Amino acid sequence: MTPAPGSPGPADEPRDAEESRDSEYAHLVPLLAEYAELDPADPRREALRDQLVTGYLPVAQHIARRFAHRGEPLDDLVQVATVGLINAVDRFEPTRGSDFFSFAVPTISGEVRRHFRDQGWSMRVPRRLKDLHVSINTAIAELSQSLGRAPRPSELAENLGLPTNEVLEGLAAGQAYRGSSLDEILSGDQSGTTLGDLLGEADAELERVEYQQSLQPLLAELPDRERTIVMLRFFGNLTQTQIADRVGVSQMHVSRLLAQTLIRLRERLESGDE
Amino acid sequence: MPVAEPGPAVVEIRISARPALIPTVRAVASDLAGRADFDLDAISDLRMAVDEACTTLVALAVPDGMLSCKFVLIQDQIEVTVSTSTPAPGAEVRTDSFGWRVLQTLADEVTAAPGVDGVPEALAIRLTKRAGATQ
Repeated sequence: MTPAPGSPGPADEPRDAEESRDSEYAHLVPLLAEYAELDPADPRREALRDQLVTGYLPVAQHIARRFAHRGEPLDDLVQVATVGLINAVDRFEPTRGSDFFSFAVPTISGEVRRHFRDQGWSMRVPRRLKDLHVSINTAIAELSQSLGRAPRPSELAENLGLPTNEVLEGLAAGQAYRGSSLDEILSGDQSGTTLGDLLGEADAELERVEYQQSLQPLLAELPDRERTIVMLRFFGNLTQTQIADRVGVSQMHVSRLLAQTLIRLRERLESGDE
Repeated sequence: MPVAEPGPAVVEIRISARPALIPTVRAVASDLAGRADFDLDAISDLRMAVDEACTTLVALAVPDGMLSCKFVLIQDQIEVTVSTSTPAPGAEVRTDSFGWRVLQTLADEVTAAPGVDGVPEALAIRLTKRAGATQ
């Protein structure tokens, strides 16, 4: 299914990149035609398909990166985008005259969107709310960038052209969306040094507090990302939106991870009191 | 929106001092902040701060005790008072803990003071959260 033109979302097609890419991918165009004409049972099909998917892989990776920072690990997104690419290669009909990019880009983006809609829900949430959640998360990312702070529900509503009540409902549904894998932190575009500097300041602040002795070993037990987020929020004095930007996950995801980690730390601190 | 009418708007809930009821209070806090158009960071901060304050006082209340959670929305801020009028003997809110650090970071202002509504032995945590763009 092709998304309607102008539909909200991060699936901006890489048009500017397309021009320069035409030459880069020119050698694949005749292969596409050859592949489309082969009989499904033809033994050459598999090798040709591999060659096409490998050749166009940078396109899938590019699209996956556009969806990064929204709460799903980049590795997973690349994988899903690659599935979209395979579908595009299989379904493309060169005889219909359109070029491969204008068919493949929406196909791949559609696959990634579906992934966002369907993955990661810890309880049954109606599909309408899942779609809303994806739109809201995208709007949060955009507005945080342009405003330099977290948006308000009214600003999200205006950006999405929805009633504020519906946005509030979507935000509440977001509470049922679970976080995902740990290696997502590696997908951040930011250089490690920026984060390192920030953590250095937070570490210095932690050293000044009395309960440092009891807290430090518990922080050390946390996964890197959770520890980073807790340190930046409570000892580095960054907002959730700033942390989301530095760490490369969505604000909603930072919010959930912080809440979960606080519960975990509290339980461990209490059991240490006895 | 109705909550934005002039004059303070008050929401008060009383719960048994049990951890299992804290999510209900938390949900009220974030719903109220969302309807008052707090920015998303402020909504999430308030939610966690209320959770922390309730958890602290549930642990300090006698078994079968009650917790009162009062939210007062004034202009662009929410004042929260979480209190228990039946603290366990000798219980006090510690301000040298990580939990207190969490409250201080999440709220714009927070105080722990004994005595609320003419009950001198009550333990209370009062916090204020503003609608937006603060750390």
